[in-house]
Amino acid sequence: MNRRGFLKLGLGGTLVLGAAGLGVHLGGYNNAPAGKPEGQAARVPDHDFQFLSRQDIVLFQALLPALLAGALPASPEPYQRSMDNTLIRIDQGISAFSPANRQQLRKLFDLLNLAPGRIALAGIWRDWSTVSQEQAHAFLQRWHDSHFGLLNSGYIALSKLTNVAFYGAREHWPASGYPGPPAWAVSALPQFHNRRNRHD
Amino acid sequence: MTDPIEQGIARGWRITDASTLSGDQTVESDVVVVGTGAGGGTTAEILAEAGLRVVLVEEGRLYHQPDFRMDEHEAYASLYQEGMSRMTADGSIAILQGRCVGGSTTVNWTSSFRTPEPTLNHWQQGFGLEDLSPQALAPWFDSREQRHSVAPWRIPPNTNNDVLRRGCEALDYAWGVIPRNVKSCWNLGYCGVGCPTNAKQGTLLTCIPGALNHRATLYHGLRAERLVMQQDHISHLQASALASDGLTPNGATVTLRARHFVVAASALGTPALLLRSQLPDPFEQVGKRTFLHPVNACVARMPETVAPYYGAPQSVYCDTFNFRDGVTGPAGYKLEVPPLHPALAAAVVPGHGRKQYTSLKQLPHMQALIALLRDGFHPDSPGGTVHLRDDGSPVLDYPLTDYLWRGLREAYLTMAELQFAAGARAVQPIHMDARWYTRWRDAREAIRALPMQVHRTRLFTAHQMGGCAMGSKPENSVTNSFGEHHHAANLSIHDASLFPTSIGANPQLTVYALAARNSEKLAMKLAMLVS
Repeated sequence: MNRRGFLKLGLGGTLVLGAAGLGVHLGGYNNAPAGKPEGQAARVPDHDFQFLSRQDIVLFQALLPALLAGALPASPEPYQRSMDNTLIRIDQGISAFSPANRQQLRKLFDLLNLAPGRIALAGIWRDWSTVSQEQAHAFLQRWHDSHFGLLNSGYIALSKLTNVAFYGAREHWPASGYPGPPAWAVSALPQFHNRRNRHD
Repeated sequence: MTDPIEQGIARGWRITDASTLSGDQTVESDVVVVGTGAGGGTTAEILAEAGLRVVLVEEGRLYHQPDFRMDEHEAYASLYQEGMSRMTADGSIAILQGRCVGGSTTVNWTSSFRTPEPTLNHWQQGFGLEDLSPQALAPWFDSREQRHSVAPWRIPPNTNNDVLRRGCEALDYAWGVIPRNVKSCWNLGYCGVGCPTNAKQGTLLTCIPGALNHRATLYHGLRAERLVMQQDHISHLQASALASDGLTPNGATVTLRARHFVVAASALGTPALLLRSQLPDPFEQVGKRTFLHPVNACVARMPETVAPYYGAPQSVYCDTFNFRDGVTGPAGYKLEVPPLHPALAAAVVPGHGRKQYTSLKQLPHMQALIALLRDGFHPDSPGGTVHLRDDGSPVLDYPLTDYLWRGLREAYLTMAELQFAAGARAVQPIHMDARWYTRWRDAREAIRALPMQVHRTRLFTAHQMGGCAMGSKPENSVTNSFGEHHHAANLSIHDASLFPTSIGANPQLTVYALAARNSEKLAMKLAMLVS
């Protein structure tokens, strides 16, 4: 995502973005990092979120089942653990991005979280918390197939963040059939045994 | 304790983690070198060995063997620019670039080619670089190959690379074995996440220790903000310390005074520093003509196990299409193979949900080819432009031209044909509108119809070049053929930003050689100024 991409969207998109920007002030919309969330209706993993806001978490909780359809475990407990860990790793991944790219993602997530953008650009009429996996998939497919480069790049941002966070995680290596680093190398290398503190 | 970095630290190397600094300080030396990658590392060692007091400034942090745990998430967050999220301004090309002590040489896949002769000949004719003939550079390549233990890979290629060899054999294309800069390599396959065995001979384990052994000082986590010019000289470099997150300035500043300044901060970082510094640039050449070797890719599903995550990541290449139509003809491309670990594979293969999962769950059978387009040799391939964002960081605007799109489509065709010729069951060009094809003629038909457009065509770059071109005329260059800035008397540039075009090969050895050549001359010049 990038600023030029947003500008390229043209007048309709600009209006929507304007409305989204307005919403930040009028609607009491809060896009601050969720930190260590507690006492909320939605189930939120136990993690000190540095980037994702509460609404971003709801957004990804709606999108992940579609983004990772087939790859997520079937039984409820491992499923929930996978969802939580993926959310956490998305947050950790974005936290290492440059301020400029974090800001672009902030804009994308704000756009999706606020009603004008959600309805006009994502075609999602109800809150993300009520969106089914099929509806989420249909939204992703629309952005994938769109003739607007902006929506394509939005799709790529959402899917790439999620794919890297999910498939790169040790607990999900079996999903791709990746056996992990060779065991003989791990047992022969010092850094896997005496993990001292870095001394720089 | 076997890690040479740990041993050096124990022996008292002068290394400062800038995140530990508070308050402002001033440092004096003979030479300040900005960047510790192929250019900066080489420069620092040669100048320090010549007896000069050298200070190295690195924006990334120091990571070494204890930190290299073959973990993609850790490595992408800590060792790569922008946490692996760097891309061109319109988001169309993902930029893989190192950001740590050793720069990209800490995370590259060890391919070490000499600059192709047609490229050097083109530079001589087109940019007045007569002194960079293949003959004149040969001794510099010799010495750098020795310094970095470069030799053609002797172990048989992994299956991922062998598929390229087999495809070439079947179609009668020439292929070659890639020279790698490794010593006692375990053939593990984790070069891209920091070599876990200290086999890779990037600057982290060669020139940086060489410089530190000769009393150089290394600051890491220190961002070079701007060079300050007085009359025709740089008087000092202003730098800011970053907190231990490597991103946020911690408030401390360092003023670095020196007789000479060498910038080797990469094809994005070097132009950005010069632009922030507002140095004289009468012909507006800084940050122009930036090249990327734009890369597209094609994955295959092989009947046998490929295990594309194991073994030396790059060992076979094909140059049949690189200069086939002449140096300045239609875009040529070099064919190589990328390693595929699960996060990288998941980032490269576009898609989501069941379709994506169906592809990725067969990672052990997945093979990939990449084509590196030789950009910058034709008027319709003018490269990109580095701009500064509001926060002073660089962003590269790189327009894709029809000339490049034609080359990319050709490259898709070549890659798919090679994979089928090597026995692939199915092939998928890495493109939003492509799917798995089980027959070559279906793939060929589909590739001919693929829309060659930004975003839909998935593009990557691991080679950033140009933006501060060397040349004989200030009208179309920033430095002379020795990297000496045309307008600031004590400023040199020693990295890939010097290239007036891309080169048609992985650039690390070219950077080592040019930096060594430029540094030997600089060392003599600075010694004469003293005496």
